[in-house]
Amino acid sequence: MFWRLVFQLLRGSRGRLGVAILAIVSGAAVISALLNLDLGVQNKLTQEFRTLGANIVISPASGAPAQISGAEVPSLMPERDVLAALQQLPSAQVSAAAPYLYIVARAQNIRVVVAGTWPDQAQKLDATWKLEGNWVRSREDQSQCLVGRNVARRMQLALGNPLELHYMDRSAQCRVAGIVDAGGSEDNQVFASLSAVQSLANLPGQIGVAQLSVTGTAQIVADYAARLAAALPQYQVRPIRQVTEAEGALLGRIRLLIVSMVLLILILTALCVLGTMAALAMERRKDVGLMKSLGGSISRIVGIFLAEVGVLGAVGGLLGTILGAALAYWMGLRVFGTAISPRWEVFPATIALMIVVTLAGALPLRMLGNVKPAEILRGE
Amino acid sequence: MATLVQVENLRKEFGNVRALDGVSFRVDAGEWIAIMGPSGSGKTTLINILGGLDTPTAGQAVVDGTDVARLDEAGLTRFRAEKIGFIFQQFHLVPYLTAVENVMLAQYFHSTTDEKEAQQSLERVGLGDRIEHLPSQLSGGEQQRVAVARALINHPKLILADEPTGNLDEANEEIVLSLLRELHNEGHTILMVTHAPSIGRLADRRIEFAHGHLVQAAVASLKPELA
Ligand SMILES: Nc1ncnc2c1ncn2[C@@H]1O[C@H](COP(=O)(O)OP(=O)(O)OP(=O)(O)O)[C@@H](O)[C@H]1O
Ligand SMILES: [Mg+2]
Repeated sequence: MFWRLVFQLLRGSRGRLGVAILAIVSGAAVISALLNLDLGVQNKLTQEFRTLGANIVISPASGAPAQISGAEVPSLMPERDVLAALQQLPSAQVSAAAPYLYIVARAQNIRVVVAGTWPDQAQKLDATWKLEGNWVRSREDQSQCLVGRNVARRMQLALGNPLELHYMDRSAQCRVAGIVDAGGSEDNQVFASLSAVQSLANLPGQIGVAQLSVTGTAQIVADYAARLAAALPQYQVRPIRQVTEAEGALLGRIRLLIVSMVLLILILTALCVLGTMAALAMERRKDVGLMKSLGGSISRIVGIFLAEVGVLGAVGGLLGTILGAALAYWMGLRVFGTAISPRWEVFPATIALMIVVTLAGALPLRMLGNVKPAEILRGE
Repeated sequence: MATLVQVENLRKEFGNVRALDGVSFRVDAGEWIAIMGPSGSGKTTLINILGGLDTPTAGQAVVDGTDVARLDEAGLTRFRAEKIGFIFQQFHLVPYLTAVENVMLAQYFHSTTDEKEAQQSLERVGLGDRIEHLPSQLSGGEQQRVAVARALINHPKLILADEPTGNLDEANEEIVLSLLRELHNEGHTILMVTHAPSIGRLADRRIEFAHGHLVQAAVASLKPELA
């Protein structure tokens, strides 16, 4: 009879309780989304290697640039060493690799960073670039180059235009094959053939960094990086994670934000439930008076109502958690570009939180203890 | 016959209102008593005290050997569940529960529920075909009959009915009164508040109130008149 009563009461007040369950579902959805995002993103972006584009960088050990696209590379390494090491290792997992030599040259009297590389590898190493025009197909082709979209705009370069690069008293010329939209610092750079840049800078056989795109699981990438490091002890071999450490620290601060938001949402949900329950308690005064007159003790009566509220919290929590996991998945894809799978520990945590919050919101039911059946039943 | 209810010098004050002022009477088991008197004379107050819904300011109210004045909250709750069957003027059914569930609610607070028995008690008041109806789907008379079934379900020692026909039309009034008559014939003890002298005459005895005092008690049985 207990659960039958609970169910009938739930059904009887479904209008009013609908509001409460809406609050609980949305509260639980946001909390579960936040927790899923927090756990998922933190893990995924900071632990996993990048799967698209370059995921291993080789650079000189001392004063190594933090960013592969950094313009000022203080030390160099011989191209030959790196290529030799790469040839030693199985090449099947390496989908693309390219050396880079960065110099600051002038073009149209404007200083511009020029990256000498194997332009034919760019398409795979920089998989996120949007390119207008054509990729450069051959790495020996000194006559073509790619320019970043900001460079193209400032220098009013269109596809097919010639670009004259000056470095000290030397100069080189190439035609614009494609315009790069990378959404990053690459938009301010020019990508030319490595050999052309080496002779422009008079640094034959020298490179600043090398990038590799290794395909496979995180384990394969890590193994490959370790073997490469063993083969190149004098250089630094670094796998690139989805998110750099600086971004990871930002995520740490976001975690704080998330925790405070979760707290806030819990309080808001409790308040909403509180309001509904206060109204419901008023509405049910008569029923409570009647139940008392039938010999119902207040603990039993409130027990029924609490079970009702608990069911509400559990059902709302469950629905919300599922919704939140879906929301987190969607936001992961949309915002962080990574699929966030729901974390099982979020489910019981969110549901438990919602039940606790809902019961806290049911505090107004306490006032039913003071209901005097004689006064309530006296009539209206 | 054994005394079921013994009221001794009962007083109830609400602030400076004396709702009951030194009331004494007794009721034998199996009696049907009509409590009469003008509005505000203390009839409902008496019923509430006898039913354990309210506590007196002074005096005794012994029902089936228990002095309600001495019971604490928990004791009163048990007392209501075990000894009393209430019938109210406004029916007071729980609107979310079906007819049978309203009856079962009383079973639930008393001990354990027995749906079959609850259905039988509804059949007995002529509502065998309204078992799953909600109060809102029942007429006033039908609702009051559910209330009668609910009052009976735990075999209470004392049935307290406060103007049970006050909200009913004549036809329904007649149905409810004949139910009460039946209960009386089966030996139930009934205290019934009523304004209508014609209804009062159905009872074995009338207890007349005015300003919290008893005006006239122990009126001889009027049954011969009915016959
Ligand atoms: N809770 C209360 N607080 C204050 N006064 C009350 C309370 N309950 C009853 N009274 C007063 O006690 C007196 C008796 O009330 P009671 O309800 O017993 O009358 P009654 O005989 O049942 O009247 P009616 O025939 O109109 O139902 C009235 O004057 C009423 O105003
Ligand atoms: Mg009254």
